[in-house]
Amino acid sequence: MMPRNLLDSFVLDAGTGKAIELYKGQILRIEQIEGAQCVDFNCFNLHDYKEYMHTGRTRTLHGLHPTKGHFMWSAPPRERALVYILEDTAQCNDVLFPRCSANLYESVYGFAAHTNCHDIQSEAQREYGLTPDDVHDSFNLFMHTGVDENGKPWIDRQKTGPGDYIDLLAIEDVLAIPNVCGADIMRTSNFSIKPVKLSIFEATADDLAAVPPLKRLPSQRTPADFKVKQIKADRALQKDPAYQPAFTNVPIRIEELTVTLTDEEYQLLRRSALTELYGSDDGAALRDIVFSWWGERFISAS
Amino acid sequence: MNEHRVTLRLNQQQLELIDRTVAQGIAPNRAALVRLALLQYSDVHQNDTSTDKPSYAGALK
Repeated sequence: MMPRNLLDSFVLDAGTGKAIELYKGQILRIEQIEGAQCVDFNCFNLHDYKEYMHTGRTRTLHGLHPTKGHFMWSAPPRERALVYILEDTAQCNDVLFPRCSANLYESVYGFAAHTNCHDIQSEAQREYGLTPDDVHDSFNLFMHTGVDENGKPWIDRQKTGPGDYIDLLAIEDVLAIPNVCGADIMRTSNFSIKPVKLSIFEATADDLAAVPPLKRLPSQRTPADFKVKQIKADRALQKDPAYQPAFTNVPIRIEELTVTLTDEEYQLLRRSALTELYGSDDGAALRDIVFSWWGERFISAS
Repeated sequence: MNEHRVTLRLNQQQLELIDRTVAQGIAPNRAALVRLALLQYSDVHQNDTSTDKPSYAGALK
């Protein structure tokens, strides 16, 4: 395997997202640092934001859990492959659930402000002049989901570990926007929010050769095919040089809460602790129990 | 009787939810709420053998 040329690498802090110009033939690696962190992902055609990744089209072609060897497709009427998943060490993705939102945290948990994927996406893509209405349903990386026997979707804790990663190869020039999922009081990221590492590489010939051939069909329309060819906004995404990020509740600040347990209580903790996820970390196991309990006691199932 | 000190790492949002729950009178303080959660959760899940089955109520992203 030929070595890749690393173009950039940085850490995406908890509660934040970043709009990245990812050109055809470049690879965005999204990598776990501590593990167990969901990352929401949006992308747009860099030269025409009206074309964007569509979870519905992607779900139809690749199922609920797309992984290595699958594409991210744009919405009708374009329906082109925008991104190819070159590698996926965790194979724990979701295209069923929508992004979480401020309304979810207010209506269910009573938060006036809380990190949430919609607002993080909005804030990140604001750097390119996009509005909150332009956020689309996300490709949920590192998210453990399924559907029960009654057809209801569920989310469970995940087992991704440090160093797990997914490599996304741009098939077209895209604005790629990963964000650290803001859910810290539910199972999505095992009840915490953690930073992730992003790296951008130049694809090698081997990488490009791994992409299956793509058909080009007349039904994959472009604005040239539209009866109305113009839109009221500019199509090209221009970076705002005055952009200053202002993400909700960032920086995420960690505080320690020490609780003294009796022998009996400690035995209850050890019996209920999810050791397969948290090992000997009693604090993480107890945090999981606290917020699992909260959800069961205060959120009524619909 | 031995005492066991367990330290939870919580961010400001998680602490806000705990504090609001305390303010509702569910428990007198943060630590007491954590201990209450442990007792009640353990009671409900005492027969669980592994990761509890996800419920729809928990399926909020």
